[in-house]
Amino acid sequence: MLVLTRKIDEEIKIGSDITIKVLSISENQIKVGIKAPKDVQIYRNEVYDKVKESTIEASRASVQKQTDLLKYKIQKVK
Amino acid sequence: MKIRTHQFGDVEFTEDKIINFDNGLFGFEDLKKYLFIKPDDSFFYWLNSIENADIAFPMFGIRVIDEEFPQEDYFEAFGIVTLNSDPLKITVNLKAPVYINQNLKSGFQKIIDTDKYPVHYNLFTE
Repeated sequence: MLVLTRKIDEEIKIGSDITIKVLSISENQIKVGIKAPKDVQIYRNEVYDKVKESTIEASRASVQKQTDLLKYKIQKVK
Repeated sequence: MKIRTHQFGDVEFTEDKIINFDNGLFGFEDLKKYLFIKPDDSFFYWLNSIENADIAFPMFGIRVIDEEFPQEDYFEAFGIVTLNSDPLKITVNLKAPVYINQNLKSGFQKIIDTDKYPVHYNLFTE
């Protein structure tokens, strides 16, 4: 792993079109700003892990017999 | 061409029916070719891998439950469904929608990293 030391407001470039800036630092937390092209996906690693786990679970559960769903109401997002 | 699926038995298809996921799905990055199936008797759409026919995902059109869900031009948003024998425990993944364009035969999955959209959204109520 490449390790770089940066101060507040300093940046790191990844390739020519991705920039990561250190915005603030507190005791055990740093805040970074990321500039990247729209098609670059950016997300927190633990979210990725959770999504991956859920997709694997969905694939396993896909063999479940389906019950009659028509008597249930679909829940809309509020 | 033909694959043997768990849900639908043998399914015949032609090259032009293949939906390409260049980056795969999260957790299934190696599987890039899928069939998108809407059976008459099923509540869900199905995304069935061609490269590993045992891998299949029930899918639900997210617009049905959320008209304000983030859109992608020319693509339709679907959520991967986690089935359960108890319908009240069936969930849809709204955090990582799958966008599909059936004309372009193309699809991709994206993570929406905000608290508004959960990984496990309960699809049904009584």
